[in-house]
Amino acid sequence: MASNVITVNRDTKPSYFPIFYGMWLTLRNMLETLFVKGRSATIEYPEQKRNISTRYRGVHLLTSREDGTPKCVACYMCATACPAECIYIEAGERPEKTIEKYPTRFEIDLLRCVYCGFCVDACPEEAILMSRENDLVGTSRAELVIDRENLMHRGKLAEVGAGYRPVDHDVRRPVRIAALERLASEHGIVPGMPKRG
Amino acid sequence: MPKVTIDGKEIEVAAGTSVIQAAEQAGVRIPRFCYHDDLPVDGNCRMCLVEIEKFPKLQIACGTQVTEGMVVKTQVESPKAKEAQKNTLEFLLANHPIDCPVCDQAGECYLQDQYMDNGLHESRVVLEDKTHKRKVVDIGPIMLDAERCVVCSRCIRYEREVTKTNLLEFVNRGGATQISTYNNGPITHEYAGNLVDVCPVGALLSKDFRFKMRVWFLKETESVCPGCSTGCNTTIDHRDGEAYRIRPRRNVEVNKSWLCDPGRDLYKTIGANRLTTAHRAGGAVAATADVLAEVAAKLKAAGADSAFLATPNASNEDAFAFKKLAAVVGGRLDFRVGNPQDKVAVRRDPILQREDRHANTQGLVDLGLGVTGVDALLADCKAGKVQVLVLQDGALLQDAGVAEAAAKVPCVVALATHQGPHLAVAHAVIPVAMWAEADGTFTNFDRRVQRFKRAFDAPGDAKPGFEVALDLLSRLGQPLEAATAADVFVLAAAEVQDWADLTHRTLGSMGRAVGSAAAPATA
Repeated sequence: MASNVITVNRDTKPSYFPIFYGMWLTLRNMLETLFVKGRSATIEYPEQKRNISTRYRGVHLLTSREDGTPKCVACYMCATACPAECIYIEAGERPEKTIEKYPTRFEIDLLRCVYCGFCVDACPEEAILMSRENDLVGTSRAELVIDRENLMHRGKLAEVGAGYRPVDHDVRRPVRIAALERLASEHGIVPGMPKRG
Repeated sequence: MPKVTIDGKEIEVAAGTSVIQAAEQAGVRIPRFCYHDDLPVDGNCRMCLVEIEKFPKLQIACGTQVTEGMVVKTQVESPKAKEAQKNTLEFLLANHPIDCPVCDQAGECYLQDQYMDNGLHESRVVLEDKTHKRKVVDIGPIMLDAERCVVCSRCIRYEREVTKTNLLEFVNRGGATQISTYNNGPITHEYAGNLVDVCPVGALLSKDFRFKMRVWFLKETESVCPGCSTGCNTTIDHRDGEAYRIRPRRNVEVNKSWLCDPGRDLYKTIGANRLTTAHRAGGAVAATADVLAEVAAKLKAAGADSAFLATPNASNEDAFAFKKLAAVVGGRLDFRVGNPQDKVAVRRDPILQREDRHANTQGLVDLGLGVTGVDALLADCKAGKVQVLVLQDGALLQDAGVAEAAAKVPCVVALATHQGPHLAVAHAVIPVAMWAEADGTFTNFDRRVQRFKRAFDAPGDAKPGFEVALDLLSRLGQPLEAATAADVFVLAAAEVQDWADLTHRTLGSMGRAVGSAAAPATA
């Protein structure tokens, strides 16, 4: 017999006390939630809203530069990382030579999105973040494919606040490098594209 | 044949082979920037440093020829070489702007690949301290970004040795060195696209492909350029049934690593203005099967009073099936509209292009599709001797002579890839696939048979040309024992001189040269 198996003595008399105790507990909880203020787990949604984490992954938003143009440079990193393939981007030319590129179209299919936050992690520009907005309503599927302007001006943002956003790069980078080294040493996997001539 | 040991593996290579090539044969890829298989060695980037026994210092693998008994240790075995490559990379990256998010080279960039292989270092130069150079310089079909350049001189050597135009040169010195055209003038020759391919980084990028798609989304399919009789080997890069670009695929026997710009532009013809459904006279849309049934009935009735006009753009498989169809019906058959066979080997320029702007003229000559003579065929049409005229490509109607003759024929059947007003003459139009949408082979000017592969499906009801011909043959009660392009090729190979042992499999990705262009054309 293995050492972690214990023997229980089942030869005991049944007692009625635990049954009455359990019933009393249930009754007390019922009465308290009904009559004691602040004891109830139910809230009066939508008048009342639950306090959600500042790292909540709700509807996305695109950040802007000071001149109001999108911070996004259309690098497609989010679309590449997206497991649901819900991000569609078309790139165009910006007049500033140091930036070069911006999204002429940037659409997210919110019905297809799985709200994993990978797009936020992948973004090199902190251009895509997530808000805490989670009550999404629309009258058609097309309405919930939201475009660039919509993503840049989410009306409810002030009300719901920003949610999931990247952690400080200095914190994340050594972790990422360590992860890459571990991948290479333990599994022989080296990320990157196959070699071309 | 010197014997060399590379990373403990002994191999025998041809005399005069460089260490970098020998290593490739031994299965070790030494990182490089300035070395290119089809350009002269320059040895300036210092990335390919390897340790060679009895040499006091590390040597560049590209500029060192192998000798008998040489023992080479690459970055795989030699920590010294690995360290040297890592340091070289850090130097190359010292002034790099690290703008990968907006750079189209990302995903096929040597700097990125080698940073992942060797680098992974934190930059010791902050972005503000880097030397800044010209960005987004428009030089014709190319966008130049001098900041991303690693000064490898591949483009300069390409201009000097391949196009012999010398349009690019280094200006300034030291850390300020950058490439430039004279007065930032445009690249004017028809081989500018290759500059994008030779550039190992994002300094020279295609204006046409600019910001269209990130390359890691693209799937590659091996193909052959249908633009002229040279038959350059290509790769079609596509995503979700849409071609985004065509790149050259290295084949030393045909095009080395090069491709002309008109050839690159052909991807645009795949998506634009395509015919997707069968039509009857007047443009009435109909089911392909119905139209084919009517055509088969008409052909049966016409018998010898029919004519078949093939196109030298057809693949060998399409052409062979078309020839069989003509033979079964018993009609006239030819393809030589405009006599392309006379200029099949005539060069248009000293690099790649040829005067015959058809993909497979030599293939149709070899398959014996020139039977009746085009003049005789068209004359018979005009004389009213032809009841049914079948055109293998609707675009043939753009030829004035063909259009005039077709106007006199009571039933014109056209297989077509693209829509257009010229098709109005036809009484039945059947959509067919283009070369990117079908498997097949082209025979180039040198009688080299080369395979191209299907990248994606044809739009709408369009099918490969040989399938349409096979369909008609079975409707005529004389089916061919073939279902795929490979099957048709086997049947064709049995009938053509020198093709005896050829199949799609034995052709491989590089194709096979059979006989020579000087061999008498079968007719």
